[in-house]
Amino acid sequence: MTLKLGRHHFPDDATIMMAIVNRTPDSFYDKGATWAEDKAFDRVAQVVDEGAEMVDIGGIKAAPGENISEDEEKRRVVDFVARVRSAYPSLVISVDTWRASVGRAVCQAGADVLNDAWGGADPELVDVAAAFGAAIICTHTGGATPRTRPYRVEYDDVVRSAIQDTVAYAYRAVAAGVDRRSVVIDPAHDFGKNTFHSLELTHRLGEMVDTGWPVLVSLSNKDFVGESLDLPVGSRLTGTLAATSVAALAGARIFRVHEVVETRQTVDMVNTIAGRRLPARAIRGLQ
Amino acid sequence: MPGVLALLPSYAGLSDPVLDLRLACLDAVSWLGSDVVVVGDPQGCRVGHSLLSAAGVSRRDFVPPQPPEGGSYLVVGNGSARRSEKAPGHLDERSFAFDDGLRAALASSDAGWSDFALGDDLLASLDGIRELLGLLPAGTPAQVDYDDDPFGVRYWVMRWEWS
Repeated sequence: MTLKLGRHHFPDDATIMMAIVNRTPDSFYDKGATWAEDKAFDRVAQVVDEGAEMVDIGGIKAAPGENISEDEEKRRVVDFVARVRSAYPSLVISVDTWRASVGRAVCQAGADVLNDAWGGADPELVDVAAAFGAAIICTHTGGATPRTRPYRVEYDDVVRSAIQDTVAYAYRAVAAGVDRRSVVIDPAHDFGKNTFHSLELTHRLGEMVDTGWPVLVSLSNKDFVGESLDLPVGSRLTGTLAATSVAALAGARIFRVHEVVETRQTVDMVNTIAGRRLPARAIRGLQ
Repeated sequence: MPGVLALLPSYAGLSDPVLDLRLACLDAVSWLGSDVVVVGDPQGCRVGHSLLSAAGVSRRDFVPPQPPEGGSYLVVGNGSARRSEKAPGHLDERSFAFDDGLRAALASSDAGWSDFALGDDLLASLDGIRELLGLLPAGTPAQVDYDDDPFGVRYWVMRWEWS
């Protein structure tokens, strides 16, 4: 399905690299490397140079930690969004927030997408997306409270749960007035899930793709990769790219990533194998 | 023109490794007119048909030994495929003199050229060229539109006109 991400449109066969840009002092992967605004801006410049079509700017780490007020979250992301918007008019800007008030402020500053990583915790977020013509990412958390870790969570069928919740969220967004082309679903690996759940979602991602809603996957360096391979953060790229291959083959459209170049190559290679993308340049044996 | 499979739509990539050659071929086949007979081996004929279709030109298949009267011919063939270390057939130094000789014969419509056995060794595609040399009135000059070996294979796009 054609994607409309705020002011940007992408054709049916386009895949999108959504580069993670943290305006946090404590996110799990970069551990505050882009906490300073200029460092975060440098990170945007880097990922644009690497070919990312989209950035996902976040002001609060996903894991439990110090309480971050709405005002503090806005201080971290709103002016930064405006700065990125001004510098990169053709870049899709997503903001990772579950709060409607923050969503409203970043949309006013030029954001195109609200990435609701906590699965509709604030029911008014869809209204903000509708009011600003923004896209919304509908994630599955199994009902988890924002910034909590899973503890003895079980599902009868995690894939069915993910499909039911994200599709219901998608219809709720459309009912609120969000353009149908601007609704994306995300199984949300590791959110409200143990490693077995995330592996099952990866293995059966095609069932989510079959819903017809465009699928985003956020796999990058996550614990399900680390636990599968017994590797710490910092040593999970190969495992991340293997999971990325499986998701790409199943038909995922948007890839939320730390490593843009490696993920782009992986996704392009898989989609070329799948016949969804042409080789860049083929002459071997065809001279 | 050469029977380069990369000219076929089924082997297209995001960028075209034979763009200059393709443009020369399309320009030449567009010049041929509306009734074209394709001459070459079966693989080469596929390429010729494809380019004629791309140029919107109708065509007839050539059935030797009785060439149809009138119309134009699109001859598909090429020189040595052994012109460099990276060439499909690796390097064979005999390629250069062979291709020079074949080019001269084509440029001057010399029906006496007969190096077909060496051409087989050099992986040249000569079925169509053999027919061409029989068709051309002796001494008909060629217009050479393309003359290069970008992948270690000698390609020409040439035109002849006679009445």
